[in-house]
Amino acid sequence: MCCKLEAMVQRFATHVLWILVFGAIALPAERAQAALGGDAASVVTDTTEMHGIAHATLLQQYEIQEITNDSGMRVREYLNRNGVVFAVTWNGPVVPDLRTLLGASFDSYVEQLSALRHPGTHRSLRLASSALVVESGGHMRAYSGRAYLPLLLPAAASPANLR
Amino acid sequence: MKSPHRTAHLIAIMATAGLLSACLGNHSSTPTSATPPPPVVNTMTVTVDSGPAAAPGAINHAYVTVRVCVPGSTTACANVDHVLLDTGSWGLRLVRSVLAAGTVTLSAETDSQGRAIEECETFGGGQTWGPVALADVTLAGEVAAKLPVQIMDDTNAGAPPPATCGANGTLLNTVAGFGANGLLGVGVFAQDCGAACVNAASPLPVYYGCTAAGACTAENLALVDQVTNPVAAFAADNNGLSINIANLVNANGDASVQGQLTFGLGTQADNALPATGLTVLGANASGDFTATYNGGSTVLPALIDSGTDAYVFNDPTIVVCSTGSFVGDYCPAVAPLNVFAVNTGVGTNNATSKVDFAVQDPNTFVASAAAFEGLAGGGGATNFVWGMPYFYGRTIYIGIDQKVSGAYTGPYYAY
Repeated sequence: MCCKLEAMVQRFATHVLWILVFGAIALPAERAQAALGGDAASVVTDTTEMHGIAHATLLQQYEIQEITNDSGMRVREYLNRNGVVFAVTWNGPVVPDLRTLLGASFDSYVEQLSALRHPGTHRSLRLASSALVVESGGHMRAYSGRAYLPLLLPAAASPANLR
Repeated sequence: MKSPHRTAHLIAIMATAGLLSACLGNHSSTPTSATPPPPVVNTMTVTVDSGPAAAPGAINHAYVTVRVCVPGSTTACANVDHVLLDTGSWGLRLVRSVLAAGTVTLSAETDSQGRAIEECETFGGGQTWGPVALADVTLAGEVAAKLPVQIMDDTNAGAPPPATCGANGTLLNTVAGFGANGLLGVGVFAQDCGAACVNAASPLPVYYGCTAAGACTAENLALVDQVTNPVAAFAADNNGLSINIANLVNANGDASVQGQLTFGLGTQADNALPATGLTVLGANASGDFTATYNGGSTVLPALIDSGTDAYVFNDPTIVVCSTGSFVGDYCPAVAPLNVFAVNTGVGTNNATSKVDFAVQDPNTFVASAAAFEGLAGGGGATNFVWGMPYFYGRTIYIGIDQKVSGAYTGPYYAY
């Protein structure tokens, strides 16, 4: 129960901050907050960094926070019932800052990346371990991808739904 | 119609012969002749091999040699070999240390505030960083004068990359990082970023203005100043290109294979589009047509990309190599694994075409070889890439955005 309340408070704070962001009031970039594996507050950080606006969609087992900006970027962050971001997806003319978006998983991503054949990393790719899946695809003008934590996937959130 | 065309041809031919200096400023002094001038040389060799001597080991990399000169100079030039031919990007990028070895120094362009213009571009799991500079670029007999190119700053001579550049993986500025001395992006668009980098309310993290102290801020950049596909900047033969690569001989890999890059589509006697049997796949504003994989219903953005070393797609039923030299690629339990995809063009060039291909077990490949037809890589669920293996034994045509070639208008891919 306590955790649920915490999550609710965080969500309230999140909404307040979205309004600030929507009103184009610059917030300091708080890079310490992680997105993937992080909490709802990290969505705010990402919204700020993208100069974007966010919309929430509440589903039975999870919640989708969608951040869009006027440059055509779209980031969706998937939060489970404990308020933990278990997946992020992106689509747009650039790749979002994955160091921020992957949070604590970024180092693991880079480590998996370094295990790939060189030179061969300058292409669309998929890195998968039991704890982390990162797919980064596309090309100039149109990048898309996603990252998720398989161990935290709610039963109803099949990877096919993470788009 | 014909006269300026011939003039351009002559100038280009003379440029290759190194005789340009007296003529450049005065087109009217072009000598006349009783016989028509020969057409401009619009073909050059493409080689798939193991890569630059400094960093061998490349797989399915198609290379060309690019002549680069300081703008206006016929002597401050370098022939840069092993530049990766890439139909999946737009614009020329060259490794700084390679240019320096060829004694070519290109100066960074500056913005209205006098800051150096630098660029961060993403290629899969890595990014290139470095200044935008002008160069005279010669490919075969075709010249793209004062072309904005990116210097891949492997020696860190310019401003250091901002924190967000390299954040999607690693910096790929070095010869070893890219497996090439540069990257020749000759895909379906003229500029790399395009309109999205011109008027964004918050400039995209692509182009930056960098102070002498090395502080970089993202900024918008006009189309003419963006890194540009040299083919689109040629005086002639600028509506597209074709790439013809020979068939491979061995299923488990060839040491090298040759092909030909031809500029222009239907602009000369040697580059006509086939009158029949051509499949033309129109691309959208992102440069993609669509594909469905193996009978699936998911419609994926797709492109034909010589800069990707494998067929790249997502098929959770195929085993991914977990050990050996091909981690991340597909290692089918039973090889060859025959699969297919159906391509459909976007817009008026809306052909549909089913393409069969086979995935081999890369662990059966000969270690010393550099060209493999059956290499497939595990990709994400949001794209389909017809990479370099698709080029073997075919001619692929690239129609550039807004340019007309026969009955077709780019952007399109055709085969």
